[in-house]
Amino acid sequence: MMKSIQFHINKPLQLSLIALAVSASITSVHATGYGVQNANRDKAKVEKWECKRCVTTSGFNGSVGIGAAYNDAGDIHFGNTTGTDTDGAVGHIEADLNYQSENGYQTTITADKLGYDTGSAAIETGRRGQYSIALGYRGLANYDTNAALTPYMNSGDQLFLPDDWQAGATTGQMSNLNDDISDTALKTQRDRFLLEADYKGSFYKADINYQHEKREGKRTFSGNLLTNSAMLAQPIDDTTDEFGAKIYFNGKGWLVGIDSSFSQYKNDHQAVNWESAFTPTFGAAYAGQSAAAPDNKAYRVGANAQLNGNGHQVLMNLSVASFTQDQAFLPATINGPSPALPTSSLDGQVDTTDMKLKYSGRPLRGLSVRARYDYSDRDNKTALNAYPQVITDSYYAGTAVNPEYDRTKQLVDVGAKYRFNRSIYVDGGYRYDHNDYSDLDRDSLQQNSLYAKLNYRISPAWSAWLKAEASDRTGSTYKAVTTTSSPSNPYLRKSYLADRQRQEYKLNVAYSGSAAFSASANLHASYDDYNDTEIGLTRVDTQGYDISANYMISENFNLNAYLNQDWRDSDQAGSSNFGLANWYANTDEQSTLVGAGLTYQNLLDSKLNLGLDYSYADGQSDTNVIQGITSPYGDYFSEKHNINAFAKYQLAEKMALRFDWIFENYKDSDWLNQGLSVDSIPNVLTFGDLSHDYNAHYFGLTFSYQM
Amino acid sequence: MKLITQSRLHKSIPLGLIAILAACGGDDGSPGNPGEPGGPPASVITELNITVKDVAFDAGIATVNYRITNEEDEPVVGIPSATYLAAQLLPMGYTNAGNASQWQYFTSESCSDVCDGEFVDHKNGQYSYTFSGAFDGMNDVSFMPGGTQRVVIKIGGDSLPDGTALPITNQHYDWQDKGDTPAYTRNLIEMETCNSCHSDLAFHGSKYNEVETCVTCHNTDKVSNPDNVFAPMVHGKHLTGFPGSLADCQTCHAPDETLTENMNWARVPTMEACGSCHTDIDFPAGQGHPTQQDNSNCVACHNSDWTMSAHSQADTDAVLGQFSVEIVSASLNGTTVDLAVRLSNPATNEIYSDSADKLNFVNDLRVYANWGVSVDYTTRSAKSIKLQDITPISGSDGIFNYQITGLTVPAELEDDKGTLAIQGKLCSDDDMLANCADIDNTTNLKSSHQFFSASAITDVGRRVVVTNETCGSCHGDQELNYHGSRNDLEGQCQVCHNPNMQAEASAANPSASTADYKHLAHTLHAGSRESYPDINYPANIGNCAQCHTEDASGVLTAALPLNSAVQPLAFDDGSFTSPTSAICSACHTSDTSKSHMTQQGGVFNGTEADATSGTESCATCHGQGASVDVLAVHPIK
Repeated sequence: MMKSIQFHINKPLQLSLIALAVSASITSVHATGYGVQNANRDKAKVEKWECKRCVTTSGFNGSVGIGAAYNDAGDIHFGNTTGTDTDGAVGHIEADLNYQSENGYQTTITADKLGYDTGSAAIETGRRGQYSIALGYRGLANYDTNAALTPYMNSGDQLFLPDDWQAGATTGQMSNLNDDISDTALKTQRDRFLLEADYKGSFYKADINYQHEKREGKRTFSGNLLTNSAMLAQPIDDTTDEFGAKIYFNGKGWLVGIDSSFSQYKNDHQAVNWESAFTPTFGAAYAGQSAAAPDNKAYRVGANAQLNGNGHQVLMNLSVASFTQDQAFLPATINGPSPALPTSSLDGQVDTTDMKLKYSGRPLRGLSVRARYDYSDRDNKTALNAYPQVITDSYYAGTAVNPEYDRTKQLVDVGAKYRFNRSIYVDGGYRYDHNDYSDLDRDSLQQNSLYAKLNYRISPAWSAWLKAEASDRTGSTYKAVTTTSSPSNPYLRKSYLADRQRQEYKLNVAYSGSAAFSASANLHASYDDYNDTEIGLTRVDTQGYDISANYMISENFNLNAYLNQDWRDSDQAGSSNFGLANWYANTDEQSTLVGAGLTYQNLLDSKLNLGLDYSYADGQSDTNVIQGITSPYGDYFSEKHNINAFAKYQLAEKMALRFDWIFENYKDSDWLNQGLSVDSIPNVLTFGDLSHDYNAHYFGLTFSYQM
Repeated sequence: MKLITQSRLHKSIPLGLIAILAACGGDDGSPGNPGEPGGPPASVITELNITVKDVAFDAGIATVNYRITNEEDEPVVGIPSATYLAAQLLPMGYTNAGNASQWQYFTSESCSDVCDGEFVDHKNGQYSYTFSGAFDGMNDVSFMPGGTQRVVIKIGGDSLPDGTALPITNQHYDWQDKGDTPAYTRNLIEMETCNSCHSDLAFHGSKYNEVETCVTCHNTDKVSNPDNVFAPMVHGKHLTGFPGSLADCQTCHAPDETLTENMNWARVPTMEACGSCHTDIDFPAGQGHPTQQDNSNCVACHNSDWTMSAHSQADTDAVLGQFSVEIVSASLNGTTVDLAVRLSNPATNEIYSDSADKLNFVNDLRVYANWGVSVDYTTRSAKSIKLQDITPISGSDGIFNYQITGLTVPAELEDDKGTLAIQGKLCSDDDMLANCADIDNTTNLKSSHQFFSASAITDVGRRVVVTNETCGSCHGDQELNYHGSRNDLEGQCQVCHNPNMQAEASAANPSASTADYKHLAHTLHAGSRESYPDINYPANIGNCAQCHTEDASGVLTAALPLNSAVQPLAFDDGSFTSPTSAICSACHTSDTSKSHMTQQGGVFNGTEADATSGTESCATCHGQGASVDVLAVHPIK
């Protein structure tokens, strides 16, 4: 049950709402469309499926635990691995309890690392197959750094400087800077509370869920006044509430359902308001203000229907959603009188309509065909107005009209799969993707794709498949938008709108020949050629492979290992004289992930279980800018060695003690801030060097009691 | 590197050829001479052309291979000396964000009797020079692989062994070690743009006469004084005495699509380039401009649109495009000229239905009149009216009638012609005409003139010896204004600045003491007038063609004999100097010159009758086509 509660990563605003809409529709269709409960069970002798060996137990079972640990959080980045940034001793509670009554009611209580920032707990009760009610909590945390150097302090929306602050035209002239800076942590903590209930009747199923998320923390914000900028730790205090309800009815060969959701975002902050650390470039811009994300709402309602019979299946989905925000505008500037705004709030509304039609059928033995049509429309209904532009709170630069960015996307996909025999099938299809836009450099984009897959079961032990896809994207005449203050180079083609030829290949080989050993490997490559681009992204090639293997040496001793490497090379062409390309950049990125692990169970008279995992992750990006002379950018990498070991010893029949050890060696660097002190850049007050380089340990002891 | 590429070609192509040839079973395949045909050596040389074939780069040492020919493409053999300069260009933004591309000087080597490097005369017009060592490290500059490199060859100023004089010639060649053509350049300006005013600019003993040569040394790696880096130096040198509008960067940075970096003046603002004209700014100290420690931010505010707009004549052009005044009729009635002007808006193609006195954007609009073009006018006091102050006699539909009275019209000149000149100022706000009651800013009209006879306007009137175009080669298109808004240097000034003005009898150089136009113009540009002591004529003052135009038959108007309208020079003591002598002696001031002129019939400070009696015989020898034609003896380009 807990699986179906959606733990959405709450990225800003619409994205999360869209993600909710998409995931809700996908999960519902899949869960109810292809699920086992829709299988034709009329002829099945379900009574024979009864598990004769299963013993129905009633009462409590499971375990509870309490743990204490030492965590080295000198660099809080280690918290991304351990789940807490507490430096030193930290405690947590564990639980995995199940209560079952004889008449089918069941209650489970789980807790995992409760007490840590990333702890979770849930209680769920109900009657299996009929209804359930779940209440849950989950913490999520992201730790960036605890060593961002800033002279700013904050209160509410305000970021202010110390009383003795000496402003300067450049960072070098800020005479008290080094005395006034202190370490600030950039991290976010999210507390998510969930409530979900579902009920399953004889021919229907209903589900309601509610999620409240509170987020706190700080993130980087760039406070700009003309050509001077300060990196600021912007406070985050906001909440997101999501409510969803759905009901599905099904009968023989059909299913219909309605699902709806409502989401509301509230931000405790209206603005980021900061004192300028710089003396004004001109005029009297002693402070800056920038609006924070506005409160907003989203509504969505969708209808789904599914019909099947005689080897044909039709799926239909229609959903409409509306996204609104009407937060009062801030003045166009706080430095001097603000020009009049055309309205007091955006009163923004974006409506979306999504429709999906799918057909699949099996006209012949071994042959299945499918067709699909997707329609998706984004209609921005916000009134268009001429808004005054006060550039970085400093000077008036005329007005600009809010662009609509409307979009209509249509997609047609037809395909077929033919099974030659038990070991070989081919699958192939054609896809046409058509997009119409407003306010972009192109009015429309079309992409034609052909794809095919050959699946070959070579032997009972060996299987392999090869996939290939080729697509060609083109569109209407490219006309650079004129709404930007500086014109674009006429040869520039923005990569998301440029003509592109793409090829993708994937090869997978798997071995499962013995019970003890299994392995798989895959190779993948893609080639993007922006064939009509003189200035812009011209080429992206990727290659990579994955290998993984698992070897069960004995019933108690298991080994696994994996290796993954990926490369991404991209080429860009630029012009420093507003003409054809005269400089080029290539960026070579690579990542490596290697790991191995073992588990050894039932040692010492079945009292000791051991586990050890080691992983190494390395990612780096190397950029060379070539204008005759080759100029490499600086370091941009991260490298991590991680050891995660445990030993669990059964002290007594119902008592166990577990010891955990996590060790991490982590380094990263980004040339954007590598080696910088707060005043290295004359016109940017930075956080300093945000690189990481640490060795950190975590030692934990957990005592658990078996109920 | 280029040679290596070529040798690879030599190796790879024959492989294919051999396969083909083997099938034919013939030729032994021995290569022919890859050199260019020599041909007979040049005997006459008025021009030298240097064609660089390539720069071979072996172990870091460059060898430049080149060919020298004359104007007929005949090979020139036996060049006795040469200078070789080498420099490297760092791309824009390489030294720091926002910085301009920057030349780095490596070396200057020369060859005459002895050579710094290795010089080979292949005796067929082909030459090779190998520099004395690797560039890397020379002058403490690191050679940048892939960077744009420049070699400059300077020859001439001496003679071939047979005595044939060699004109000084500079030739540059840009190359790089990793490919065929350099990946970037700093081609901002053509020498001919400089020479449009400077006519034949050359420095350092006239050895260096191309902008591409200058920049190889005038950079931070060679000159110790930052003011002598090319851009600041050139900007700074033009700050005083510049004959046109300094604000118009495109006077020198002339639009030219063949120069890839031609728009750098607007696209790559730097403290060095901008600060060399805006000298009241100290960027690092924050004086006159908010503090800037480097060039990384300049373009954030001063993007190319802004910079072009701030330095552009576009607003002026737009304002002037909204108002046109022209004389559509004129006739002489006794000493009164009746004239009609038409006021229109060319931008809308509409006429102004109000007369000038009712148009609120007209700050000043005057018409001057003088008579007697055959004698360079009858008075120095041309009569005028101010159209913004008077009501027209009549008028409608954009055409308004006025009278100017009191012209000086001697009876013998009644059939002559006169000139009407228009000047004025319009009130304007940016690119629009504006009400003078609201704004002080004005834009000068482009002055104009119109000839007329007793009965009608005419195309032909006073002789035209200089034009607004020839004056504009240095002064811009009617951008030089005198007396407020008079800028028609071709036909307006002369209406008053005529022979009725007098020279001082006591003056050392009488021509420099009269404001008669020809004498004023000659002595002003020669720097011989006391009131303009700082005039530093930017070209060869002897190049009459810099200012003088050609007549209808294609003869330069500086030629002798003089036009009959040219009058003797009048003095304040009642004496006169004959016309040709007066003109020539403005520059040729020595007693010897004066004696020569006197001997040949010239009259200095004589009676008017003597000065106009036609005794001057200058044209006999100095006349057009004669043995020492003034057009031949002056360095006319």
